[in-house]
Amino acid sequence: MVAPGRAGVVRTAALVVVAALFLAPLILLLVGSFRPVGLPPPRVGELLGGPWSLDSYRRLFELVPLAAPALNSLLVAAITVPIGLLVASWAGFAAARLPSRQGAFLAASAVIVLLIPVTSLFVGRLTIFRTAGLTDTLIPLIATSLIGVSPAFVLVFAWSYRRLPSELFDIASEFGLSPLGMWWRVALPLTRGVTAAIAAIAFVLTWNDYLGPLIYVSDQRRATLPLAVGTLAASDGPRQPIMLAGAVIVVVPALAVALVVMRRVSRVAEGRR
Amino acid sequence: MRRALVAFVVVALAAACTAAGPQDRAEVRVMVAGDPEELLAYRAVADAYAAAGGGPVQLLEIEARDALISRLSTAIAAGNPPDLFLLNYRYYGQFREAGALASMQGRLDDSESLDADAFFPAAMEAFRDGGEQTCVPQNAASLVLYYNAGLFADAGIDTPPDDWTWDDMVAAARTLTTDDDGDGTVDVYGLGVEPEIIRVAPFIWSGGGEVVNDDDDPRWLAMDSVKAAVALQAFLELRQFHGVVPTDEEAESEDLETRFLRGGLAMLMESRKVVPTFRTIEGFDWDVAALPRLGPEPVSILHSDAYCMPVDAAHPDEAWRFLEFALGPEGQAITAGAGRTVPSLMSVASSEAFLTPGAEPSNSQVFLDQLTSVRSVPNIARWPEIEDAVNALLEEAFYEPAIAPETPELIAAMQFATDPLFPGG
Repeated sequence: MVAPGRAGVVRTAALVVVAALFLAPLILLLVGSFRPVGLPPPRVGELLGGPWSLDSYRRLFELVPLAAPALNSLLVAAITVPIGLLVASWAGFAAARLPSRQGAFLAASAVIVLLIPVTSLFVGRLTIFRTAGLTDTLIPLIATSLIGVSPAFVLVFAWSYRRLPSELFDIASEFGLSPLGMWWRVALPLTRGVTAAIAAIAFVLTWNDYLGPLIYVSDQRRATLPLAVGTLAASDGPRQPIMLAGAVIVVVPALAVALVVMRRVSRVAEGRR
Repeated sequence: MRRALVAFVVVALAAACTAAGPQDRAEVRVMVAGDPEELLAYRAVADAYAAAGGGPVQLLEIEARDALISRLSTAIAAGNPPDLFLLNYRYYGQFREAGALASMQGRLDDSESLDADAFFPAAMEAFRDGGEQTCVPQNAASLVLYYNAGLFADAGIDTPPDDWTWDDMVAAARTLTTDDDGDGTVDVYGLGVEPEIIRVAPFIWSGGGEVVNDDDDPRWLAMDSVKAAVALQAFLELRQFHGVVPTDEEAESEDLETRFLRGGLAMLMESRKVVPTFRTIEGFDWDVAALPRLGPEPVSILHSDAYCMPVDAAHPDEAWRFLEFALGPEGQAITAGAGRTVPSLMSVASSEAFLTPGAEPSNSQVFLDQLTSVRSVPNIARWPEIEDAVNALLEEAFYEPAIAPETPELIAAMQFATDPLFPGG
């Protein structure tokens, strides 16, 4: 065992500080959700030592029907993430395998699309979905998968595939593999970590999407979890623990997926399957 | 495993593609806004209506009233309005003047279950246009005075009587404003009130002044009379001279409702909406009293929401049937159970469904008594903008007297800012 040097200590300390910055809101969220309902909000931040109660979670399920929204969120994520990954990965592979000029053109197109504010597209999208009679269904929420969830994912895949040695694809081509075969048998297995990380981010983006459901879904039966929990936003001070409990319910699945993927990515990075 | 996954995706796709089925198309779409407890009450009304054989109701729940206005405007502009929506009279003028609202007078006249005379007249009047009932009120509250009975008892002051004057209130507020630990910071303030025109207006009216030149045909802000100026000056002095209300910084860091909840405020001017929150108070007794009078007669201000129907509602008949249930005795009793609203139907308001013996406030009767002397602000299209303009100046004068103009200049500034917003301005 080698004693860590000064640089190692500094790096560890920096990591702890960054982790603490990101963990603090999560801890406050958790602690706040267990505060008894009905108490005036604390005047200063509370961490530990306050009164504890599960009342907020009980009241949450009384105030907001969460089963249907949870199922809707699950459906949207279960469909959007795999299709989005497939589209983004294919598009990225195509951009990487094209000659430099065409590949650069595709990548530049993705960057331009990425720069367009999403909010400026909502009116047009809403008109299209309304004309097609698809509002108040989950289709508009799933439709983002057809562009790979985000153009950024296409770019990341393209960069990842471009980093692979071109000789690999030359050999694969000599062995008679089709472009699809090269993607499936060569490119994808070698970028497993990137794919897992993008899957996690795509899941979090889809799972947490509030604006999309707010615009396309007015039927409460089609509401997703963030939209349903959003109805708690008007909670007064003593009922804020209920709103925080709702936020915990939304955050936990995304956190679980992130942790699982992080573990997977670490294993890949260490060279284990 | 793979087959199961494929099957799940197929089922999921089928479910995701399912829009509202043909049987759902006759659903009444009702847009409502409110806090979670209020939304729960609306869901209970919709469920009770469905259980009574009335048919399905789809609630379009909005978490905030500001968002309701924008969502409603967008839906109407897009030609996809709800069949009914719940709206405050101060915000309904813009929809009425745009011709977006259907008259309910004919349906009300023909109704076998609703009688116009059974509603509080002040609330009905606020939603009338040219003699026609445009919307039907769902609630009829007013501004009252909440007080912490424990703090009054500790200070040896009698709780507010029915005929309380402004000076009585200020004197009590001064006594109740205390720095308990002597650190130079006030621990308990005597009074909490937002510096807004809807808070000042009752006292202008009570003092014999007017807010606008003509309630039926408002053309300008008429607060330049001596009586109105005296009332406004008295209001501003609550912070500037008496120091009985929290400072700007204190009000920003802790809202008045929360301050009252933790016992840091002896009195609070608010409408009925805080009752569900205050019912969670365990540390002290509290109750409500009528607003004090500044002049010879006490006057309060109406707070009322009504169900309105857009002219191009998809299912007007079904919507009206739901409205008849929601505003009938059963529907209003369910809504009253949440404690947040005062029923607009007089019979329900005077029943145990609202007065709820044993539940605080014990003096809920004051909400009903005040409705006989309540007044409304105009419901013209740009009234919300007028309120915003006046409130900005009022807030500055209330909290920042050092940079704010004197009262006559303040009134002139209010008139200057609002003149273009009135009809013909």
